[in-house]
Amino acid sequence: MSETGFPWPIETTRLANGMRVVVSEDRSAPVVAVNLWYDVGSRHEPEGQTGFAHLFEHLMFEGSVNVPKTEHMRLVQGNGGSLNATTNPDRTNYFETLPAEHLELALWLEADRMGGLVPALVQETLDNQRDVVKNERRQRYENVPYGDAWLRLLPLLYPDGHPYHHPTIGSMADLNAAELATFQAFHRSYYVPDNAVLTVAGDAAPAEVFALAEKYFGRLDSGGARPSAPEGSLAGWAGPVSSVVASEVPAPRVYLAHRTYPYGTPEYDAVTVLATVLGQGRGSRLYRLLADGARLAQPDTVSAYGVDLAYAPAPLIASATARPGVTAARLGSALAEVVDELVTGGVTEEELARAKALLETDWWTGVATVDGRADLLSRYATLFGDPTLVGSRLPGWRAVTASALADVAREVLRPEDRVTLVYEPMEAVA
Amino acid sequence: MTQLIAQRPEPGTPRPYRFPAVVRRSVAGGSVVAADVPGHNLAVATLLLDAGGGRETIGVEGVAEVLAKALEEGTTARSAADYAVALESLGTDLSLSVDWDSFSATVQVPVASLPAAVELLAEAVRRPKLDPADVARVRDDEAESLRLYWANPGPRADAVLRADLFGAEVRHGRPLSGDPHSVAGLSVDEVLAFHRSWFAAPGTLLVVGDLSRLDLDALGRAAFAGATEAAAVAGEPFPVAARSTRRIVLVDRPGSVQSTLRLGHQAPHRSHPDYVPMTLGAIVLGGAFTSRLNHLLREVRGYTYGIRAEYGLARRFGRFVVSAGVQTAVTAPALVDAVGEIARTQADGVTEPELAVARDWRAGQLSVGLQTPRAYASALSTLVVHDLPDDYHAQLRESLLSATVPSVSAATAAHLNPDGITLVIEGDAEKIRGELEATDLGEVVVAAI
Repeated sequence: MSETGFPWPIETTRLANGMRVVVSEDRSAPVVAVNLWYDVGSRHEPEGQTGFAHLFEHLMFEGSVNVPKTEHMRLVQGNGGSLNATTNPDRTNYFETLPAEHLELALWLEADRMGGLVPALVQETLDNQRDVVKNERRQRYENVPYGDAWLRLLPLLYPDGHPYHHPTIGSMADLNAAELATFQAFHRSYYVPDNAVLTVAGDAAPAEVFALAEKYFGRLDSGGARPSAPEGSLAGWAGPVSSVVASEVPAPRVYLAHRTYPYGTPEYDAVTVLATVLGQGRGSRLYRLLADGARLAQPDTVSAYGVDLAYAPAPLIASATARPGVTAARLGSALAEVVDELVTGGVTEEELARAKALLETDWWTGVATVDGRADLLSRYATLFGDPTLVGSRLPGWRAVTASALADVAREVLRPEDRVTLVYEPMEAVA
Repeated sequence: MTQLIAQRPEPGTPRPYRFPAVVRRSVAGGSVVAADVPGHNLAVATLLLDAGGGRETIGVEGVAEVLAKALEEGTTARSAADYAVALESLGTDLSLSVDWDSFSATVQVPVASLPAAVELLAEAVRRPKLDPADVARVRDDEAESLRLYWANPGPRADAVLRADLFGAEVRHGRPLSGDPHSVAGLSVDEVLAFHRSWFAAPGTLLVVGDLSRLDLDALGRAAFAGATEAAAVAGEPFPVAARSTRRIVLVDRPGSVQSTLRLGHQAPHRSHPDYVPMTLGAIVLGGAFTSRLNHLLREVRGYTYGIRAEYGLARRFGRFVVSAGVQTAVTAPALVDAVGEIARTQADGVTEPELAVARDWRAGQLSVGLQTPRAYASALSTLVVHDLPDDYHAQLRESLLSATVPSVSAATAAHLNPDGITLVIEGDAEKIRGELEATDLGEVVVAAI
């Protein structure tokens, strides 16, 4: 098995305008992945503009100077490609995977919307995509049981004014108030070559990619000074917090969340392993103790995971849904006991080995595709300034010891720092 | 000063598309079907049995799913907890799946661990403990799990549509995984009987990975050990019954901020000769982002986050379905628009620019989608379940690229049925019923579910 988690070549360059370009050649499939990370996410949004980074992501598909509305999607799909984009608190990414002969098309499309979006952006487009995003919010968060858990957890985890305090989807009120000029300014500030990383992975040679990057992106002006995200201190923000929600849900559900360490640190590697011990698979603590053993939780609902955020202590979230007849209070105290036991009792070598084996497979699954690799390279270049650090994540997980897990558990799982979110079915509360 | 390049670049030289040679072995009464994909650290094995939802009889729908969950409750050799730790310490879970045509169990591990993982897979599938108390508990958990799932928008609408299309007196007129009541009513004996009846045939083992490091015969022997029965016959496709009246079925979801649309009618089975033109027509109508439905309802009207049309095709039956969530206040106009686009496509067919997108998209996706051992295993599964030739994927690319406007328009004319479509709407009945009745799209009935 490979020592590094990334046994593919990585070559980088930086254009004169500051744009970084990363290439990872792999000729095993006739496809190429193009991936851009812009260093802007919902953490950059000022008060009153929540949801703007994500709504802006939608606008990026609606046409630019040389690409009429709907053409971007039509050209990528119509040449055999897949495409999408995502926004999270940390960043916004755009990506497409195409048959390799269409590499240049993808770069042309990306350059056109990086350098030429503003003149094509009109009120009608904004109004249309605002409606689409409001429907996305309804569909994902409002119309499904427990759908708003993440929206409720964030303000309990991070104080007002912290960049992670508000959710990326934003509020309906802020979305309604969004004005065209704000988005034009947003593009001018953040959608500039020196705030972006372009990665190409797959069936293409580095020299060819660098030349094409220079051809299409080299002519774009770099940006000026741009507003940075607030620092967001957590100083003095502690103490157990709990919130009970009466909602249209079919059964009680409990979430326990803790602030841990930023993604990319050795301590967060330990948190990742710890979350796997706690909540991934039938051999996990939560499954064995709550679903199987005490029969308090529905078997397919127990889980624990870290949310990989890099600019502040990232959350570790454990959750479970009650079996029939089990109260939220009973489930909540049992869930807390299982988490506390990680602090007081530690983790066995067998549990550690199981978790590492599962993470090993997860890692290789993630890098099995050129699109998975391109996104990781953009991530490491954007977050840490060096795409080659991508190879260190898997060794980082492998290096975690039982005593490191004990240290991290003691530090981050303190009951006095715990956030608890409880859903109660309406009728149980009435 | 930024100066963009206005001219869209021409494509480079196309790279050849290749599907790896399909390797077949007959071992211990079963078949091994494999593909050599070197250069990956992981390998995949899937045991495929002819034991899908289509093999369930009326009254026991969901039994295959309960059995699948019960397989992990311990084997004749070890307890459930020991089994989980043994398997997960190799780096995999046991991924169990039931569709209409098959039951599958999959493991994905570093190549060197595949023999051990296949041994454990076979231990659960062929030699499960199936203690009656465990089976009863799993059944109760599964019924509760379905109750939780059915609290989401969608499952009730889909069940209503399925019953309306096929009739609740046939198996495929009921939900694939059953419903909370049917599963709660299953007996332990019914679960055990399904295992005896459908898990005794050897089935097919799919293997994908670096074959130079794998012994296919040994993997096959491990997977088929203890199998005793011959394979069953698949059965003929059911005839497609086309309706001539449209109806609206309302599923009440008080307070819903969106209406969930499931619009559908019967369609041919998967291996129908019109498969390629029919599915290309569905991409033009509602598959691509720039499809007629998504363009109008999302990009022009802003009614929805997304709407799609597709065929769901099994070995013996198929259906055409349009799915979307639309804002409650625009339910009626969204429905009028959607039916209008289906009718236009059926009547007028497709245009060359639209078909070009559909054709090239699907052809390109054969390359883009086939990068991982798991994706290749899924492609092999299609060959086995639908009894397709080994060069199917290579030929499919040619069939897609040679589809013409007349052939696709003929397929949309023949297989879309806007006048006989059933329009299921799950939403706030009090708010939307009057408007739906005013559309004149069809009689409005409220589903008893």
